[in-house]
Amino acid sequence: MSAHLCPDLEVLFAELEEGEGPALDHAAECEACAAVLEDHRLLEKDLYRLADPLPPPTLVASVMARVAAEPVPQRREVWSGLAILMTSLVGGLGYLVLNDQALSRLGTGVASFVVEGRLFAEGVLSGARALWSTEGLAVAAILAFLLVTSLAGLKRLAGSAPTPSEA
Amino acid sequence: MADDAVPLPWKADVQAARRGDPSAFESLVRSVQRQVYGLALRLLQSEAEAAEISQEALLRAYQNLHRYDDSRPFDLWVLAITRNLCLDLLRRRTKVRTEELEPMKEVLPSGEASQEEGAIAREERQSLEEAMATLSVDDREVLALYYVQKRTTKEIAQILGCAPGTIMARLFRAREKLRKKMTTEEAPR
Repeated sequence: MSAHLCPDLEVLFAELEEGEGPALDHAAECEACAAVLEDHRLLEKDLYRLADPLPPPTLVASVMARVAAEPVPQRREVWSGLAILMTSLVGGLGYLVLNDQALSRLGTGVASFVVEGRLFAEGVLSGARALWSTEGLAVAAILAFLLVTSLAGLKRLAGSAPTPSEA
Repeated sequence: MADDAVPLPWKADVQAARRGDPSAFESLVRSVQRQVYGLALRLLQSEAEAAEISQEALLRAYQNLHRYDDSRPFDLWVLAITRNLCLDLLRRRTKVRTEELEPMKEVLPSGEASQEEGAIAREERQSLEEAMATLSVDDREVLALYYVQKRTTKEIAQILGCAPGTIMARLFRAREKLRKKMTTEEAPR
């Protein structure tokens, strides 16, 4: 076969990986392509013979010496969490202490919560009483039960979702 | 599920190391040190720098052990750290130090079969190593991971942080460059 009909080498090698294809069929009858494949086979054979060099014998000891000076990873995580929490707490408190307006707003907020909280509780109680007298509570409970069981059933049917690491 | 049955040999050691067990981390270091050093040496082409970067990579792995997702292979994670450190160092280098190619001749040909092999085979492997050393970092890393460390394209993609589909094309280009270098080397003989 003439050389201009020979397939692209990338296609040929891709088919070689897959084990079949028109380019590979062509190579079986083309001397030039067969020579390229033979070259490739010999190169791969030599490449596969290469091995990683041995690391210096002191590598493990040097790493472990440096590791010994480091904090335990789990404790590091706890400490970083605590540091973030403390920083935000100190920041918030500092803002309140240094800013009179913010402090007075906080006081007003607490006072209004106490006053309005009573009103809110009274509202909830009167709503519940109304539901009880019209038997609406029983209907709401049945509807909520039906919703929860249907959602649970759907979740079971869909199977457990993969964790972020599996995804 | 099929994935549930895959054993995770590094998991117990990782968990123990996270709790502060040094022998568990030492076992992890021993299991990956050759691959880590091998990759670093092929990328940096300097024994001293490769040893330094290997140490640094393993230390970073320990420092970030709480962030490591232990459902992924530990060796791939450490190799990715090693590669990033090597690339950082290569970027910092102001010029290519070609004189460092010389020690490679003594360092890299360390295949297990070297005693049984004849002088011709050793010579061939040496010339292959030398030809490989003249390739770009991108070409060297993909060849080293695929042929020397016998990684799959999927694993290489995880280490290099790219799509698995691009690995075969990169491998093809690197191999072709190597083949041409080998052919031009052999031609005058």
